[in-house]
Amino acid sequence: MLRVEKVTHSFKNGNETTAVLHDINFSVQKGEMVALLGSSGSGKSTMLNLMAGLMKPTEGHIYIADHDIVKMSENKLSEFRRKNIGFIFQAYELITSLTVRENVELPLVFQSVAPSVRKKKALELLEAVGIPDKADLFPAQLSGGQQQRVSIARSLITEPSVIFADEPTGNLDSKTEEEIITILLDLNKKMNTTFIVVTHEIEVAEQMQRIFTLRDGFMITGEQPPTEVESKGGEQDES
Amino acid sequence: MRVRDISRLAWDQIKRRKVVTGLCMAGISIGCAAIIVALSLGDSAQAYTEKEINSRFKMDEITVTPNSGVPNQGKNGSQGEGDNEKLDPGKLTRQKLEIISGLKHVNAAAPFQEIGWLQMLTIDNKISDIQVIGTNLSLLTKYDNTFKQGGPSELAGMAVLNYGATLGLIDNETRQSLYEAMGNDPYNNDLRLQYDNLSRMPTDLYQQQIQFQSTDYSNGKSIVSSSIRVMGILAKPKGMDENMAMYDKKIYVSLETAERLRDELNLNNDSNGQAGVYNNAIIKVDSIDNIVALEKLIQKLTLNTSTNLYQKEMLAEQFSMIKKVALGVGIFILIIASISIIVAMTMSSHQRRRQIGIMKVLGANMRQIRNMFITEAALLGFLGGLLGVVFSYLIVTGMNKIIGSAGGMGGSEGGLVIAIPLMTIPIGIAFAIMTGVLSGIYPAISASRTNALTAIKRD
Repeated sequence: MLRVEKVTHSFKNGNETTAVLHDINFSVQKGEMVALLGSSGSGKSTMLNLMAGLMKPTEGHIYIADHDIVKMSENKLSEFRRKNIGFIFQAYELITSLTVRENVELPLVFQSVAPSVRKKKALELLEAVGIPDKADLFPAQLSGGQQQRVSIARSLITEPSVIFADEPTGNLDSKTEEEIITILLDLNKKMNTTFIVVTHEIEVAEQMQRIFTLRDGFMITGEQPPTEVESKGGEQDES
Repeated sequence: MRVRDISRLAWDQIKRRKVVTGLCMAGISIGCAAIIVALSLGDSAQAYTEKEINSRFKMDEITVTPNSGVPNQGKNGSQGEGDNEKLDPGKLTRQKLEIISGLKHVNAAAPFQEIGWLQMLTIDNKISDIQVIGTNLSLLTKYDNTFKQGGPSELAGMAVLNYGATLGLIDNETRQSLYEAMGNDPYNNDLRLQYDNLSRMPTDLYQQQIQFQSTDYSNGKSIVSSSIRVMGILAKPKGMDENMAMYDKKIYVSLETAERLRDELNLNNDSNGQAGVYNNAIIKVDSIDNIVALEKLIQKLTLNTSTNLYQKEMLAEQFSMIKKVALGVGIFILIIASISIIVAMTMSSHQRRRQIGIMKVLGANMRQIRNMFITEAALLGFLGGLLGVVFSYLIVTGMNKIIGSAGGMGGSEGGLVIAIPLMTIPIGIAFAIMTGVLSGIYPAISASRTNALTAIKRD
């Protein structure tokens, strides 16, 4: 499903070049739910941006559903993202002027899907994330947890190959965090959708099937959560 | 992306950003209103002035006079009726008028034989200077005249007065003393006012007997004509006020009566003594558009023609210039408004950078983002245009009130009233939408280039 091959990335700052990712290799199978764990500055956010095609790596290849997204043009990437990639943001990023249902429908709006089809799918997904009665409310009328459920429903509406969740519980209290993770695990099982959850919280990462850990731009483990990261778990990621 | 969805998203933004929307709409509406008012003012003023000029200068009439430049080809220069007329091609004759009256688009062709300015005497010894014209009295109504009293009569010794001829008849004694007083004290406003009031004072002359008086310069004696009965009084022409009417004094008599007056008063006109030969005729044409063609036909009869059509051309030129200037002002205002839209929308796109980024991450491409912004700008233009239409109606209502309270132009009846032609409304709105779209292009391109990465970067 997702294959990262020899990805290296560096930023140029004047004459200085700072390497943030070094020779990263890993792959995720269809229907897997994996965590990309790392503390602040580890390079996990950069890795997420590269996998989503929002940035291009200095070297290497990233394959999603056997398509090398590194070689794609901006427009082709938009098209590809629209059909194959779903996003869940830490701060939900809902459009405040649209209702909950309209927010969920939004990715299909960009695909010119008929309103009746969009509406049906959106209501089904809102049911799946447990807020069917909130369809006609506006985001401001919802709690943080409910807004994140809307964001999850929105990420699923295009039936993407892979969903990237960027710190999906970062803005939530522990009880709501648990609820959201349960929903994600449940959807992963039911829909067989691939999830890549970027997090700095070991508790969240531990609930995933596999954990890829990044430290200082190096992939240090692909299977077990390292104890080193655990100690920095509470820090805010600013990379 | 469906048009409905683009419009919906654009409309949401417009509703949300009330201040920006209000500012942009205000700018566009002022420009749009300026264009609508400018076009309406130009059209209304042109229509009004054309009507006024037509009623005063009679643009639908052709004045025909003899062509004195054509040499007389008659035997021994003899003049008279019958065959000799054919030998005097420059003359304005009855036969030529008959030919002209038979031409297409001619509503009436009548001689207006000018006898000259004479002193008119009433039976109660009031006098007034008046222009005497010999014509076919039954055709007077064909020249936009209506009778206020009586009607035409072709009997000898009958006359028709125009409205101005019934004003300002003063008895000789009063007239002389007033003239003397004014001569001694020319800056006396009271005397001037008294004279003006007397000049506007009407006299009922219907069915009255009048006479004309002239001076025989060979012996200095006054000659008085036989009596003439006033059989009709013409109504004041529309749009003519009292001040203008008091200087327009005419009496129409039949051609036979005119001949008799010339004999009695020893008047020597160019065509004196020649029956059926006239010094002036007026041709009434069914439409201004046919004037030029008819004029050319009449000139082929070796006659001189003149019209007031040049007034229309002058007017058209002047109004075209006024319209261009007004339109320029409107467009200038729209350009200023468009700058405000560019600034407001560029700011807006900057503020919405995160939202645009998220949309891109969710699959919106550059074209879709661009279209959303351009639709938003077009909607702003449309709303500004609608507001501009409302503004223009308010402005025009205000202007009409000001014109009305200032006494109108040309009096209350038939005065200048600015109306908004329906066609100017879509023109104004189209300009407003165009301004919106053109102003939205740069912010739209700028927004579409927003890096999607900004969406997932946290501050």
